[in-house]
This record gives sequence, C-alpha cells and structure tokens, in this order.
Amino acid sequence: MSAPFRRVLVANRGEIAVRIIRACHEDGMEAVAIYSDADASARHVRMADVAVRVGPASPTESYLRGDLIIAAALDTGAEAVHPGYGFLAERASFARAVEDAGLVFVGPPPAVIDALGDKLNARRTAREVGVAVVPGTLEPVPVDRPDDVAWILAEAETIGYPLLVKAAAGGGGRGMRRVTSAADLPAALVGGSREAASAFGGGSIYLEREVVPARHIEVQLLGDDAGRVVAIGERDCSIQRRHQKLVEEAPAPGLTDAARRELLDLAVRVATAAGLRNAATAEFLRALDGSFYFLEVNTRLQVEHGVTELVSGLDIVREQLSLAAGRPLTPEALEAAARAAEPASHAIEVRITAEDPARDFSPAPGRVRRWVMPAGPGVRVDSAVEPGERIPPEYDNLVAKIMVHAADREAAIGRLRRALDETEIAGIQTTLPFHRFVARDPSFAAGELSTGWVGERWDGLSAQAEATRVAQLAAGLDALDTGLAIAAEIVGPGPRLAVQASTIPSDSSDGRWASAGRQAATDRRPR
Amino acid sequence: MTADQTTGIVDPRAVRVVAIDHGGLPSGGPIVLEPAAVLVAPAPRIAGTGALGGIAVPYPPLESAPSGTYGPVLVDGGPLDIQLERHDEIHAVLVERGGGDAVRTPVLTLPLERITGPSLGAVRREVVVDGWSIEVEVESERRASLRERARRGREETAHRGSTEVRAIIPGQVITVSVVPGDAVVAGQQLLVVEAMKMQNELRAPRDGEVSSVAVGTGQTIEVGDLLLVLQ
Repeated sequence: MSAPFRRVLVANRGEIAVRIIRACHEDGMEAVAIYSDADASARHVRMADVAVRVGPASPTESYLRGDLIIAAALDTGAEAVHPGYGFLAERASFARAVEDAGLVFVGPPPAVIDALGDKLNARRTAREVGVAVVPGTLEPVPVDRPDDVAWILAEAETIGYPLLVKAAAGGGGRGMRRVTSAADLPAALVGGSREAASAFGGGSIYLEREVVPARHIEVQLLGDDAGRVVAIGERDCSIQRRHQKLVEEAPAPGLTDAARRELLDLAVRVATAAGLRNAATAEFLRALDGSFYFLEVNTRLQVEHGVTELVSGLDIVREQLSLAAGRPLTPEALEAAARAAEPASHAIEVRITAEDPARDFSPAPGRVRRWVMPAGPGVRVDSAVEPGERIPPEYDNLVAKIMVHAADREAAIGRLRRALDETEIAGIQTTLPFHRFVARDPSFAAGELSTGWVGERWDGLSAQAEATRVAQLAAGLDALDTGLAIAAEIVGPGPRLAVQASTIPSDSSDGRWASAGRQAATDRRPR
Repeated sequence: MTADQTTGIVDPRAVRVVAIDHGGLPSGGPIVLEPAAVLVAPAPRIAGTGALGGIAVPYPPLESAPSGTYGPVLVDGGPLDIQLERHDEIHAVLVERGGGDAVRTPVLTLPLERITGPSLGAVRREVVVDGWSIEVEVESERRASLRERARRGREETAHRGSTEVRAIIPGQVITVSVVPGDAVVAGQQLLVVEAMKMQNELRAPRDGEVSSVAVGTGQTIEVGDLLLVLQ
C-alpha cells in the first residue's frame, strides 16, 4: 500500500523524534524536524529530510510554540504533524489549530483529547460504561467556596485516608498531593489547586483514594475512523518514582488470560465510549485482590510503546500514521489485537534518564563522555544521544530506552541483565545503577511489583557508597601502577618540587627515573 | 591520620584518593594507597634538613608495570589484596581477594584531567563503577601530607604530643641510628630497614626528642609495628 503521507512534520525532539522519523523513512515518507537552539546539531535534526529552527532553548519559545510549528509544516509542505509525547501531544487546542490549517494531526481528534484530558470527565465516562474507577469524587472539589468545607470533609471521610488530591487537568504526578488526615486536607486542596492552575491552566481538583499496594497496568489502544477500537496488549509500569515510570514490561506478570481479557475489555469499553481514534493508552490500578480500577486515558503515543511493539510485532507509529490518513485498522493491527490476550513472548524496557538514583532521582544534566549502548539478540535501543553531547537541562532527561525481548519473562530478565552489563555511560549520572539492581533483584524476578517498589527495595546511597570505594581503590591502584605520585613530583609545578627536580642529574640513573616518570606523566595527560 | 603522622615516612609512591561530589567538594573520607613492599633506591640523598630534608629522591620508575607487581598494597595503613587488571585505557577490573572467591568489579577509568588551583599537582578523573559516575581526585600522599604538615606546623607549633613511628614495610632492621634521649631534627635518619635486599632509610617526621626505641638491630618487623616514639 502507498505511504499514507508524502511528508510528515515531527513536532518533538530526542528519542521520540528519532523513532517517528524512522517510521516515516521506512514507509517512504519524508520527515521534517523542528529544533530549538539547544538542539541545532541533534540527531533528529540530522536524520530529518528538512529541519526548521523554531526558537531558543526554552520550550515555551520553541517546542511549545504551536503557531511556529504549524507555520513550519506549511512552509515545508508537510501534510501531517506527529506530536510524539509531551510538549503539545495532549493539547486539544494545538490539534485543532493543526486541523484548521488544513493539516492532519496524528493523534486522537481534539474533542477526544479534551474529553479524556479532563480526568474527571474520563472518570465519569468510565463509570457510565460500568468500569470501576478508583473511589473518589466525580465532580470538582469546590475549593473556592469556604462554606462547602463540611461537604468536602464528609466526602473525604467516605473515600478514606490516605487519599490523593489530584488535578483534573493533571498528569505525571504534577498537582498531586497525598493527604493522610482531615487536618492536612485544606492545605493540600489549596496547594494542589494552585499548582494545577499554574501547571495546567485549570485549578480544578478532585479527591481519589490512594490504592496501596497497587500495580500500575495500562492498555495500548488503537481506533479507526469507523469507530472500531482494539486493544493491542497491556503493560505493567509499576516500578515508578514520584509517579514517573522507570521500568515497563509486557505482558503484565502474573495475569491469567482471563484477567487479561477482562482488563483489555474494560479499556476498549472506556475508549469506545469516548470515541477514541488513532492511539491512546488507558491506565488502571490493580489492587491486591486482583480488581482493576480505571485511572485515566493518555491520548498519545506512550514513551513505553516499544515493549508492546516487541511483543505484538506491530509498529504502532506506522499504524498511527496510517490511521491518521483515514485508513481502517490494518490487518496486522487486527491480528495483533486478536492475539493480545495470549501473548507469546515478553519484553522489558528500562528508562535511562539523566538522574541521580542516590539522590531521589534528582536531575543530573551534563555532557556525555562515553556512550556505549548494548546490542545483540533481542535488544532494542531507542535513543538520540551521542558521545560528546550535552544533555540540555531544559528538556525531559530521558536519554535512552533500553528494551529487551525474549520468549518468556525469565529469559527477558537474563537478557536485560546482559544488556545493562554491556552498557557504558560516562560524563553524566544516569539511572543505570538502579536498573542493574532491578535486573538482579529476586523480588523483581518473582514479579512482586507495586508502585511502592522503589521506596521499599532501593537504597541508592549505600549502593553509591560501595561504588565510590571501588572507584577510589581503582583510581589509587592505577596511580600506583603508573607512578603518578612520582611523576607529579618530577613534573609537578609546585615550587618545592621544582627545587627537588633540579637536584636530579639528568645523566644519572636517577635521571632515567625522572625521564621515565616524565614520559609516564606525558602519556597520561596528553595535552 | 596520614602516613607521616604515624610512621614518620611517607612512601613517595603513595597516593591519596578523594571522591568529589558534583559541587567539586570532597564527599566522604580519603583513601591512602601505598605499595606494601619496598623498592629502595641505592641511597641517593638530598642533604640538609630544610623543607626538602629527608625526602628521598624518586623511586625507580614503574615502566607500565602491571598491577599487582608489588603484591598487596596498604590501604589506609592496612594490607589489602587488591589488584587492577587493565584491559585498555578505559576498561579495567578491580580484583579484591580476601576470604573466599575473588570479587571482580569492572570499572571504566576516563582520561585524567589536570587540576589547577589549590590542588595543583593533583589529577582528577572520572571512574564509572556499576553505572555510578564517580569523580575522584588523586594526589601524591607525600605532597598532600607535606601541605598538611606545613599547615599543622603553623597552627600548633606550641603544643605537640608524642609521635609514634610505625613500620609501613615488613623487613629487618639493619641499623638503629638513635638512642632514647637523642634530639633529632626533621629528616634525620632514625633507622634503616632492609626489605627485598634493598635498604630503606626511615627518617624523622619532625624535630623532637627520641623518648623510646622499640626495636633493635637484626630484628624482623611487620607492617604496623611500633619502631620508636618521638616526644
């Protein structure tokens, strides 16, 4: 079949821009990249057929400038705009503007983005089609009316503590507050509302029970213009920190085929009711008793779509482009959906981000000095990073997604361990130590996953302290072996040492040592 | 506690390694490594008792000597059976023996960077262990301790306690050059120890008076043995 478009603008950066450009090129489509000043020499820019500068490094002046991006698409003759994830991917106003400009938005229709982007609306939609939602309010909490405090407290009592205050327009844990007692509720409501207003432009918040321990399991969905919605499989994303995913796998470990069938059906019901087109992901919590609670729908390509691609054999980005052109779900997609409840292999993804896993995963930007990614059977790496590259502090700090694929989960974990052992990154601190730990952890191997896993299992400071000791010993031994101390005394510029060096006659045996030491020093520090 | 405080001599090959945090400040304590065995030069000496007094001239060069040539090393004064197996400029494996099986930890050692400023003469390097990117500063222990001694000297010339001089090498005492009650100056020879058929002079770490001598000529000493006490 012919390519759905001749030319596609990729309104993103980093690994996801590279991923989308690859899909375009494989199907004979040209790709237009956009870039900020921080990304002028980035990989996605070089890979694209055309690249357009949109502005300075700051996202609000570049990757979030919908008007400039649409102008770039029109200028370069692109027919469609793929937003990737993040940035403008879930902004209905951007999708609408793309369509108004006569272009195709690769994603769900603006009305669906709007409807599902409002988490409260999504909860009501799920409820209407008989899908259980996490217990909580279905209407916004009236934070601006002090006389309703009694009502709010009564609602909170019904839901039970600890509970979460969430932003209706939220995502990624922003605007979220955990409340353990009634006394803390008013402050959390005010704070959460303010944060939601500044982050999302809407201060509407709601209450939800905190389901712990729980697993985070989500379903990959595709829908076509004829209204047909299918599930391609589920992913377990329980290993998170600050509500951000670190490890994702497909299928979810320990689910029976019946439970999986039930979950996929719940997701399809919600998405069908919402009128889903193109690609989206429905997120659920699974409580200890096995019951699923609907959380929300993300109306975009997920970061972790790759694990579903590996298990299903379907190229989700390719499918997105085909669906965006108005074509029906492809036979490959329908076959993948038919097989979804009985997955025949296992895939795991780890997110390598520029973060310090010893310090609560705080961002650690910097310049990459060494960058060796794993390869070999069953390994896929999605990344846009190259040695020498600076990881800009302005953007998401995901630097690579390392995925492994094998016949079953045990083999996949073995392959992950092997792949991570091959990985070499220097110059920046990443989550690699954490992932190596995960790949060797017996509770992970046993499938004992929960959203509290990181806090319960990971002791980053101790792991780092042990590594520091080894680093000190290794550097010290290397210095002994190369005579660093002696070389430093001979060539070192310290005033005392200069005197000492001058006392060594150059033709004596001492002089030989001196010259050898000097040579060693020069070899070690070629400048 | 640096080597010169406890032993009176600092092996010129000894190095001090400090981990540096992202702000460029030391994180955690330093580790001092020195060869346990001694390679003593056939006695070229620097005369005098000034700033350089007693500093032996450099030891023979270590022409790309493979790690482990010197056997166990002393880490913070205690012997540790560790070895660095170098595969290339970047790749190496730290081998730690002790007890059961050897523990082998792959490490990446990035190229050295020279430091300017207060730690002039030291080098900084990034070492990656198990995915942890760790910045370390490596400096000649003698330089570091000289600097510290100078500072200490300025700070506490008034009140000095006693200094125990201990062996950092195993061997046999060949000569004891002082007796209790002798006044010595920094750098003055105290005794000579033979190890691996080479003689090693042990010199006074500072001015003072010898209050006791714990060893005699011909005696075999082990690492850490008390040799004498300076008052």
